[in-house]
Amino acid sequence: MEASGVHAGACLPQALPASASPKKRSWGSDALAGESVPDVTPSPLKTCRRSPRTPDIAHPPRLRPRKLGFDDVPDNSTIQELQEKAEQGQLSPGAAQKGTEKTPKKLPLPKKKELNARTSNLSNKNGIRTLNPVKTPRKTFLDYVVVDRIKFQTGDDVYIRRTEEDVDEEAEGCLVCGKSGKLVECDNCSRGVHLKCTDPPLKKVPKGEWLCSLCVAVAKSQSGKSRVNVPNDTLKTARELLLASKLWAARIERIWREADGMLWFQGRWYVIPEETAVGRQPHNLRRELFRTNHLDNNEVASILRKCNVMGPTEFRNSGRDGDDVFLCEYAYDPQFETFKRISDDDENGQASSDEPEDSQTEIEEDHESDSDSHDDNKRSSQKLLGSSKKSSPPTRAANVRGGHLSKVGAKVIPATARRKPATAFERAKAALRLTATPESLPCREREMGEISAFVTDAVVAGNGTLGHCLYISGVPGTGKTATVMEVMQKLKKSYEEKNLQPYRFVEINGLRLTYPEHLYTVLHEALTGHHVGWKKALQLLDERFSNPKPSRRVDARPCILFIDELDLLVTRNQSVLYNVFDWPTRPHSWLFVIGIANTIDLPERLLPRIASRMGLQRVSFSPYSHEQLQRIISTRLEAIDAFESQAVEFASRKVAAVSGDARRALELCRRAVEIAEARCANDPKPGSGKSKGCRVKAKSNDKGNLAGMKDVEEAIKEMFQAPHIKIMGRCTKLAKIFLVSMVYEQHKSGMMETTFEKVAAIFTYLCQNNNESPVDWDTLLSIGCSLGACRLILCEAGCRHRIQKLQLNFPTDDVSFALKEDPEVPWIGKYL
Amino acid sequence: MEGSSPTRRRRKAVAEEENQIASSTDIPKETDIVPSKRPRNNDPALARRAISLLRSRLCGHSQPLLLPEAQENERKIFELLSETIRNASNNSILLLGPRGCGKSLVLNKVMVEIQHEYPERLSVIRLSGLLHTDDYSALREIAKQLCVEHQLVFSKAASFDDNSQFLTTMLRECALSHKSVVFILDDFDLFAQMSKQKLLYNLLNIMQSREAQALVIGVSCRLDADQLLEKRVRSRFSHRKILFNPPSADDLQKLLPQLLSLPVDSSTIDTNYAEAFNASIQDMFKSKDVKNILLSITKVDLSPRHMLNFLFLVVCAMDWKYGFLSLSNFKQACVALRRQTKLESMRDASVLELYLLVSMKRLEGKERETYNFITVFKEYKSLHDSHSTCDLYPQEVCQRAFENLLDRQLIMIADGRRSSIGIEFCPVKLLVSSYEIEEGLKSSPVCPAILLQWFAHEEFK
Repeated sequence: MEASGVHAGACLPQALPASASPKKRSWGSDALAGESVPDVTPSPLKTCRRSPRTPDIAHPPRLRPRKLGFDDVPDNSTIQELQEKAEQGQLSPGAAQKGTEKTPKKLPLPKKKELNARTSNLSNKNGIRTLNPVKTPRKTFLDYVVVDRIKFQTGDDVYIRRTEEDVDEEAEGCLVCGKSGKLVECDNCSRGVHLKCTDPPLKKVPKGEWLCSLCVAVAKSQSGKSRVNVPNDTLKTARELLLASKLWAARIERIWREADGMLWFQGRWYVIPEETAVGRQPHNLRRELFRTNHLDNNEVASILRKCNVMGPTEFRNSGRDGDDVFLCEYAYDPQFETFKRISDDDENGQASSDEPEDSQTEIEEDHESDSDSHDDNKRSSQKLLGSSKKSSPPTRAANVRGGHLSKVGAKVIPATARRKPATAFERAKAALRLTATPESLPCREREMGEISAFVTDAVVAGNGTLGHCLYISGVPGTGKTATVMEVMQKLKKSYEEKNLQPYRFVEINGLRLTYPEHLYTVLHEALTGHHVGWKKALQLLDERFSNPKPSRRVDARPCILFIDELDLLVTRNQSVLYNVFDWPTRPHSWLFVIGIANTIDLPERLLPRIASRMGLQRVSFSPYSHEQLQRIISTRLEAIDAFESQAVEFASRKVAAVSGDARRALELCRRAVEIAEARCANDPKPGSGKSKGCRVKAKSNDKGNLAGMKDVEEAIKEMFQAPHIKIMGRCTKLAKIFLVSMVYEQHKSGMMETTFEKVAAIFTYLCQNNNESPVDWDTLLSIGCSLGACRLILCEAGCRHRIQKLQLNFPTDDVSFALKEDPEVPWIGKYL
Repeated sequence: MEGSSPTRRRRKAVAEEENQIASSTDIPKETDIVPSKRPRNNDPALARRAISLLRSRLCGHSQPLLLPEAQENERKIFELLSETIRNASNNSILLLGPRGCGKSLVLNKVMVEIQHEYPERLSVIRLSGLLHTDDYSALREIAKQLCVEHQLVFSKAASFDDNSQFLTTMLRECALSHKSVVFILDDFDLFAQMSKQKLLYNLLNIMQSREAQALVIGVSCRLDADQLLEKRVRSRFSHRKILFNPPSADDLQKLLPQLLSLPVDSSTIDTNYAEAFNASIQDMFKSKDVKNILLSITKVDLSPRHMLNFLFLVVCAMDWKYGFLSLSNFKQACVALRRQTKLESMRDASVLELYLLVSMKRLEGKERETYNFITVFKEYKSLHDSHSTCDLYPQEVCQRAFENLLDRQLIMIADGRRSSIGIEFCPVKLLVSSYEIEEGLKSSPVCPAILLQWFAHEEFK
């Protein structure tokens, strides 16, 4: 019983020699086997025992498990079935034993055990195990596994039991004399005492519970209380154990059953803040974990039970239901000791792309079906196991396709990242950012309905009764791309709720393509996953879309192609556009195109054959009026009290008069909020909107707290004003006279353009008449050129000397306005 | 631009010119102001150390002093950067102002301060419109700088598509690691003049998504740089502008004594010497002559860089043995800064070249808009036919002189390129005005009197 119990317990992550800080555990020699780790031993336990604290330096070659495909049948076998198989002699007896006695509550770790017995057990085990998981060909992958009526599936977060060696490491020596040896473990605090050192000295390990003297004393002092309420250094709940680093948590990535019937899983470890390189920061929550990219294989038997690890939004709304709820917002890389926030789309899916750098050392025996050429490169440049101790194997450049970017990360999570915006101004700024698009765009309901109808019809009906191409036009800043994205988000949601068939969405931006024909490559890659040159891609796409019967194609999902900045694709013979709009019209092509451009009559400017295909269905986005802009801004600023209502109206009227661009309006308001914030910060008035506490007092000083008309005016001045008048007023005296001579010349000759010679002649004339000292022409030329560099005037290159052509860049009225009453040259007025 | 004149003639010419300028402009021709009470400095080593300290300060290597307006701008940029880093927002800004007014200086100062205040939160990418002339090389440079900064391996063979994919991915990763990426685009107007403005569009477009945390700072000397942007790019650009005005002459003059004073308690400079030096500087700037010189400098160009160049020349002209600045240093610097290159060219020209110039001028006076060497030569010959002189040379020699004039850029070929028909048939244009020719003839040591007469006679003022 004990042997098998130890055997069960020995499937846990491997023990390591104790060291003072948990962070610095390293591979060192293994006390058990005396073998150094990188040797590949046939014992599977050796290869699979790994703790989450070590960087995964020496990864023995193991078969990379295949991703779950559609062909894998989930195996519902429970441990009871295993036992049956064992009885049939197919499995090792250890597995059967493990199956029957394993429950989550009863820890099979024997409390009273002999440490030295471990070695012998293992050598026994070496005899039992005959198969090497590396070589086993029959591995079946499972979706979930049921252990004692608890279902564990991929994506679950679980507690993992550590080995008893780890647990005892911290209390290695006897309590009384400090030496190691045969120790008896206390039930409460798991500290060990020699048999001889107990009080009274025992001859053999007692049956039943045994408490060390300290716990006995504590229990006695708390007479009347039950044993459960023992002081804090005993940790009872799993959460406390985890946070005290006595238990570990992992996330199941894959589950499989070996050929010998053992159930294994691959888990991604979580670490607590104490185990990171920087330790626990003041802003780390009590229940915070970090996800690592450290994967390990372990047996399913080492799982304790499930826990819940959530992202920040879920954690906030969880209400602490259950004790086993943890927050995981960041991913920690133990090799580079960096933190990275987990992005929202990563939270739900598998973060499978951040394998550690050393995973390159594995020789991939099976790779994915659509292997690209870069896989070959990867394999040919891999290092073999054993030479992988170098810290940064430079195999792949970062900026080519499929490059590695795992080094990027923050050394410490900054405290400001955790802070929520406190004051109204900060919340207003956060809400007015261009990136904070709301869930549904106001004032665009009609357009959204049309686009939504087109897209839904494309996906559902399949043959596109509403047409195959949609052309969207409008000036920049009117919400075209945002609306299309919103429609696609809604579609995705309804697909996830299983209301819709599968579809494909490809997004292309005309300005991100290197050249227009590159579109073929991108489209082909999105449809099939193969990266080929554009000519080949064109040929393949043509074949694909002309083929009336979908015989060879894997899926006949309707594909929605979204092209932004369509006018960039116009080439001389317009072939790219023709192809793009011709393919959807072919039967059974299952392609639907949405194109966005700025000009409303783009189809008319193209060849008629394209215009007829493209221009059938159009949606036009008109510039926003001032009411719409006001509504947009107010929607964003809902429940945030930072603006006077007149100020918002003023801003929207100003922007609507100029362009009707929503981005401009939002930027203007954000700038106004910043100006108001700076003004309030410098304001000596008490209670000027700094803390929530003095809100009552602040109501009396209402005007100071909000962004008002003055702030908006200043922001408008900054953003809309042309700077040339100010610069003209501030340039040198000679430059001013130069400008005035140009104005004079323009009035005299009636032509805008003049030559340097004429201007210089008038300059000299002006100077002579007004007692200014004359200037040589070289200096004058340099003055003219410096004015031209600022684009106050337009001039040719200075090497043309007297035949250099000059022209004023601004109307003469501007020059008059700037220079009329200049104190430096008071006589200028009469020449303007 | 000018011909290769021997150094001795150069020095003589400089001395002559100094006198000439001193007479023609308002710099008084006085001797140095050396109050007798100041001690003579006998140790040239002290002076040398002082000069090197002042020179490094004037070149901008050490901490620069800023004018009050520039300090205001510095504060604004610093606040914007802090806001971007702290609140993880995206921003874009343009720094505009005439050349030499301190845009890059202030920006560099702010970057140093920000790196100090928020270590490891910032990643800086610098591009220049003059170096990276098209989108592909600019994007490659961005990828290279990102790789260097994060110690990744960079491959030169990556295509435009790869690099832009890399940029998007890196921006996303940096945003997840709470690192802001700052793009500094020098000569922003040149980026806006690239075809299709792909780089600007891509940068500003990435900043519209939540996945990036970036700041784009454009520096330009063109005041209308934001008008150059295409409408799509303009819409994505937040129209924040910070204007760097040239300072007023008073502000600049107040700054000067600080720029030239030596630190009194420094370890490398002797204290007594430093104090004496500073006292001499104060006296110097109070004197009327120096004020006039400075006025003449600031009349031309008010940008601080011009003033720093001037002071640099002053300091370089300082005599080691004497050990202090003097008025002659200022005058020398003034002369070196305001050179009249065309006058010098004409002064160095040979007689034949002067004849050709005058002939061209006469042709222009006769309303002949275009002329080439053949017609010029004919005019030259007709001059000599009417008044027989000893200066008649054959056509080949004249052609040689003509080519010399072309090299010196006193004349130029009218349509800008040499066609294959031969230099004597190309139409040319005269680049010096009649006023300058007159000055040149007067100052030339070899000009025959008859030439002056011809010139004066034919010129109708």
